[in-house]
Amino acid sequence: MTSIGTGYDLSASTYSPDGRIFQVEYANKTVENSGTVIGLRVKDGIILAVEKLVHSKLLVPESNRRILTVDRHIGMATSGLLADGRHLANRARDEAYNYREMYRESPPLKEVVQRLGLYVQAYTLYSSVRPFGVSTIFGAVDKTGPALFIVEPSGISYGYHGAAIGKGRQIAKTELEKLKLAELSMREAVFEAARIIHLVHDDSKEKEFQLELSWIGEETKGLHLPVPKDLCEEADRKAREALETFE
Amino acid sequence: MPDGSYAHPQQRQFNPYTENGGTILAIAGADFTVIAGDTRQSEGYSIQTRYAPKVFRLTDRAVLAVNGFAADGNMFVKKVKQRLEWYRHAHAKDMPLRAIARLIQTMLYAQRFFPYYVYNILGGIEEDGSGAVYSFDPVGSYEREACRAAGAAQSLVQPFLDNQIYFKNQQLPPGQTRPLHLSLSDVLSIVIDSFTSATERHIEVGDGLEIYVVLAKGRGPQGLEAVRGAQELTTNAEGDRVFIVRRELKKD
Amino acid sequence: MDHFPTSWGRPRTEAYDAYNTFPLHQRPNPGHKDAFAEGVQRTQQPIVTGTSVLGILYKDGIMLVADTLASYGSLARFKSIQRLHPVGSSTVIGASGDMSDFQYLQTLLEELIIEEFAEADKHELGPAEIHEYLSRIMYGRRSKMNPLWNSLLVAGKKDGKRFLAYVDLLGTTYSASTIATGYGAYIALPLLRTAVEGKEDTLTEEEARKILEDAMRVLFYRDARSLDKYQIAIVNDEGVTISEPKKIETEWGFAEGIRGYGAQIQ
Repeated sequence: MTSIGTGYDLSASTYSPDGRIFQVEYANKTVENSGTVIGLRVKDGIILAVEKLVHSKLLVPESNRRILTVDRHIGMATSGLLADGRHLANRARDEAYNYREMYRESPPLKEVVQRLGLYVQAYTLYSSVRPFGVSTIFGAVDKTGPALFIVEPSGISYGYHGAAIGKGRQIAKTELEKLKLAELSMREAVFEAARIIHLVHDDSKEKEFQLELSWIGEETKGLHLPVPKDLCEEADRKAREALETFE
Repeated sequence: MPDGSYAHPQQRQFNPYTENGGTILAIAGADFTVIAGDTRQSEGYSIQTRYAPKVFRLTDRAVLAVNGFAADGNMFVKKVKQRLEWYRHAHAKDMPLRAIARLIQTMLYAQRFFPYYVYNILGGIEEDGSGAVYSFDPVGSYEREACRAAGAAQSLVQPFLDNQIYFKNQQLPPGQTRPLHLSLSDVLSIVIDSFTSATERHIEVGDGLEIYVVLAKGRGPQGLEAVRGAQELTTNAEGDRVFIVRRELKKD
Repeated sequence: MDHFPTSWGRPRTEAYDAYNTFPLHQRPNPGHKDAFAEGVQRTQQPIVTGTSVLGILYKDGIMLVADTLASYGSLARFKSIQRLHPVGSSTVIGASGDMSDFQYLQTLLEELIIEEFAEADKHELGPAEIHEYLSRIMYGRRSKMNPLWNSLLVAGKKDGKRFLAYVDLLGTTYSASTIATGYGAYIALPLLRTAVEGKEDTLTEEEARKILEDAMRVLFYRDARSLDKYQIAIVNDEGVTISEPKKIETEWGFAEGIRGYGAQIQ
């Protein structure tokens, strides 16, 4: 790492001579080493899927959720530092609430994401703070239809048809590109999402992981809800089978 | 003014209080205390509900009856219970009765300039095992007494208690002395008679009667065995014991 | 609040001064005021108001009814305002009194429900919790001398338990098997009590609806701030349903012979 020992990587408020902010890049490293998170924007909704790496068998199943709810119709999934993700979720809830209070309607995702981008970006400006060690996939079905965004540690945000962050993002993105996202139903997308998470999981390096799935759309009457247990298990099983025939 | 407006600005102030009727009463015996209240809640001439409790078990040895403005009463009881729970967490025991009495005074006086519009009667067993009744005014003045009635029918019930408990205006037959303390069964009869009579003569009293009986540690249930439907509420069998007795009152 | 005893005025009897406080030092400006008092506005009276709400228990749940009128004084200003409002999946509230205060409460509850939804912990607020929340809000506001000018009914069914309770601008609360707010407490409640008390566990949905419709008819005949258009909210094991507005069937034929209604006959 060229940055180490140069002294330009000690503060988010210092540029390196070639115009980089190493603290932000380190934050991205945190995300790159974390479990894969993907989001699918399909015909009538959004699917969020997480490869939640479980570091101990003693943990209660379904604890430390990486998929969080922001508003009735907005969900988010974080990759990186879990606690930072929770903090961002709280901030996102506040922003959604403020929008509601001001305009008396449910907030469009774009608005929440832009405001959250501003917040995250502010943590790249000062020597007294550390940039957020998370990338977040936001999903919602709002008045514009299904919407999917990523907010990165730099504070930048883009909209996507299919989004992937974390360890296995490269493989996941290639897989997402193969899909006809605009034609997929929510149910079909759940199976694809589960398959991709299983595909990118590296059995040799990581031991256990738990598949977290949530969706928003016609199936849920516009609410952000966990994918029902039976469907989740079916998708999990099918994904394992597909992997076995694939290899 | 000719145009219908007022020469001076008019002020109509919101009145944050109301009266919700009902009556409470408590009588202390040598080693027991009885605390009772009717269950009618009313406003003006309307009966809001026939069952709204005014008497609350605080600990195994303390029972609080609250009468006056129901919203203040409920909030006050809630806060007293909360303070008692904090005391339990800090000291690993229930607060003694006289300490609860002083706590209630402090809490009431804290609201001296926007009082809880409630009359409190606290009954239970002191640390020395004696039955005790503490009565309060809305801003916290309090004293320990042998008996007290409060609420809508106070003026009907208190003179009756003065006569029956303190033997006021009674000419005892020569050679007979009045007992220092009455028995539990006598006290229960007086309480029930007080409420049936108050129900007859006061429109805000009636519907139901809840009688709490607190017995000192080690005292047997004599006087309570014959009572129909007495239900024990005690949480710790070692100490003082609390019972509740329910009776119907006329609903007209 | 003025804490200076000298501003509190004289004891009741001028002649008798038990505390020997005479002559009292008179403050130069006894009627001094809070400099900011005039900049603060508080609800001192309701403006756009809804009239009675009625609620009863029946075999399978709870039923509320309210008409759809929001009055501006004696003017029937808004004739299709919904005064029954679902909260979560097992609760409904009905409001009489100031409609803007009611709308404010709706936004508070909306926020509360979203907060709880975002927890995603498989718990949901039931009618008892909603009632407790509302009563804290109402009592808190009355204690600030800035009340929300409403009488509210909270009804619901959760875990097989029926719930019906009242809370008003003073924070007064109570629960009963039949409750009515406003004029309904005088006109409809006696009818409801006769029809419902003791039969809470046997009344069918149809019977309960009939009881409420009859009560609403009487209210429409006698309450000058009421309307012959009403909605019924039902909470049972299936959840909350609020009906479309319906008309009350009325009969005015008798009016002809009554002085003050029909053509005047000496």
